[in-house]
Amino acid sequence: MATLDSRRVSRAGRWLDVRRRRLGMWAYALNRITGIGLVVYLYLHLGILSLLTRGQSAWDSFVSLARSPFYLALDVILLAGILIHGLNGMRIALTGCGIGVGAQKAIFIVLMIVGAIALGVAALKIFHI
Amino acid sequence: MNMLKVPLQIFRHKPGQPSRYDTFTVEIPDSAHVIDAIDAAWAVHDPSLTFRRACHHSSCGSCAIRINGVEKLPCITKLSDVWDGRTPLRLDPLRNFPVVSDLVVDISGFFQRMSAAEMAITCEAEAFLPFTVDRFAVAELEPKAVELPADFSRFNRFEQCIECGICMSACPTMAADERFLGPAGLAAIYQARHKTDDSRKVAHLLGLADGEHGVWRCHSAFECTEACPQAVDPAGKIMALRRELIARRFSKLWGK
Amino acid sequence: MIENPFAEEPKPTAAWLWQVFTGVGLVILLGLHFIANHFVAKGGLRDFAEVVAYLRNPVILCLEVLFLLCVTTHALLGVRAIILDFGLSERTERRLDRVLKILGILTVGYGLMVTIMVIR
Repeated sequence: MATLDSRRVSRAGRWLDVRRRRLGMWAYALNRITGIGLVVYLYLHLGILSLLTRGQSAWDSFVSLARSPFYLALDVILLAGILIHGLNGMRIALTGCGIGVGAQKAIFIVLMIVGAIALGVAALKIFHI
Repeated sequence: MNMLKVPLQIFRHKPGQPSRYDTFTVEIPDSAHVIDAIDAAWAVHDPSLTFRRACHHSSCGSCAIRINGVEKLPCITKLSDVWDGRTPLRLDPLRNFPVVSDLVVDISGFFQRMSAAEMAITCEAEAFLPFTVDRFAVAELEPKAVELPADFSRFNRFEQCIECGICMSACPTMAADERFLGPAGLAAIYQARHKTDDSRKVAHLLGLADGEHGVWRCHSAFECTEACPQAVDPAGKIMALRRELIARRFSKLWGK
Repeated sequence: MIENPFAEEPKPTAAWLWQVFTGVGLVILLGLHFIANHFVAKGGLRDFAEVVAYLRNPVILCLEVLFLLCVTTHALLGVRAIILDFGLSERTERRLDRVLKILGILTVGYGLMVTIMVIR
C-alpha cells in the first residue's frame, strides 16, 4: 500500500501502477517502458554489431538467422516500441514547450492511431521481404 | 430518501502501531456524500478515527483523501458516484505526504513549496513542520504568527487553488523525489510570476522553476490537472513556465 | 526563521531540452537508418559486403555517426531522468552525471571503433 511504503525504490516505481489513472499517465508509463526497452535494445544491437569485426562468415550467419520468422516478429515488436516512443515523444516535446497542452489526450490518440497504421503497413512489408 | 448500508474499508495508522484496514458498515441516505459516510463511521463505530473536514463544500481543501485509489474531495463526492453497491469503498490518505494518523497527512511540505513562491503563509508552523516521506513523523506544532509586511500586495492567495494537496498526491514524480517543487509549487510560481511587473522578482521566480527539480522534472503525466477539483490546471501552468523559460534561453542565445 | 530549501534558486538545467533536441534528431536519423537498413536493403538486412559498401559512403558514414551520437545522448538522458526520480542527494546526482557521461563516451567510442574496423 503506497502511503505506508517508505522504501524509496517502490515509491519511485509507482509510475508503473496505472490502475484508475487517466490517459496522460498511461502515455507516460508507455513512454517509459518503451524507452527502457529501447535502451536495452540499443546495447544489444551495438553488441551484435561486433560480429562485423569477426569477418564475413560471422556476420552473414547472423543475417540468415535474423531473417527467420521469430526474429522478424521481434523486429515488429521493436518497431512498435519505436513508434510508440517516437510519436508520444513528439507529443511530449510539443506539450512540454506549452503547445497543444489542452489537447494532449486527443493528440495522443491520433498519434497512436497513426502509429498503429504505420506498424501494420511495416509488419506486412517485413514479413513479405 | 433511501437508506444505504455502505461498507467502508478505511486505512488506519497510529504512531507506533502497524497499519491496517478497518471495515465499518454505515447506514446513510443514498443522497449522502462520502464525507458523511466517514462522519458516520467516526460517530457510530470508532471515535479514534482521524480525518480532516471543515467547510463541506470544496472551498477549504482539508478533507482530501483517496477514494478507491483516486484522489478526491469527499465533501463533494456523492456516494452513488463512487460506490458500486457491493464492494467496500476503500478510503486511503493522500499519497506522497507522511501519514500523521489514519486519513490525516502532514502537508507542511505543500506549504513550504507555496511559501517559496511567496504565497501568503500566515502561520509559521504551516510551512516549517518536519517534512519527509521517509518517516511517519508527528510534528510538534508551534503556531507562531508571521509578521506580514506593510506592502500586502506582495502576498497573494492563489485564487482557484484551495490547497488540498490532491495534485501532489496524484503526481508520480512526487512519490520519491522530495526536492521536486511539484504541481502546486510550480503552479504557485506561475501565478506569482504573472502577478508582478518587477523584473528582478520575475527572474527570481523563473529561476526557482528552472532547476532539475523544477519544471524539467515533470514527466507530462497530466495527472495533477486531471485530479484537481478546482480547475487550476497545474500541468498547463508548468508547460507555460517551460515555454517562457525556453523563449528566454533562445533570446539569450540570439543576444537579445 | 527556518531556511526554506525550495526558496533557493537552483542551478538551471538544459537536460530536458537536449532530450527534445536529440529526440527530434532521432525522428529523422532513426527513420533514415531504419528505412535504409531494413526497407531499402534487399532482403531487409545487409550482408557483410553490403554493410562495408554502405559505411564507406561518406554521406552515410556522417549520418550514421550523427545517429550514434544522438541515440546515445537521448538514451542516457532518458536513463538519467528515470534514476533522478528516485530522489537522490545532490552529490549522488553529480556522481550519476559523471558515470553516465563516461558510459556515453564509451558507447560512442565503441560504435566508432566498430565502424572504423568495418570500413578498413
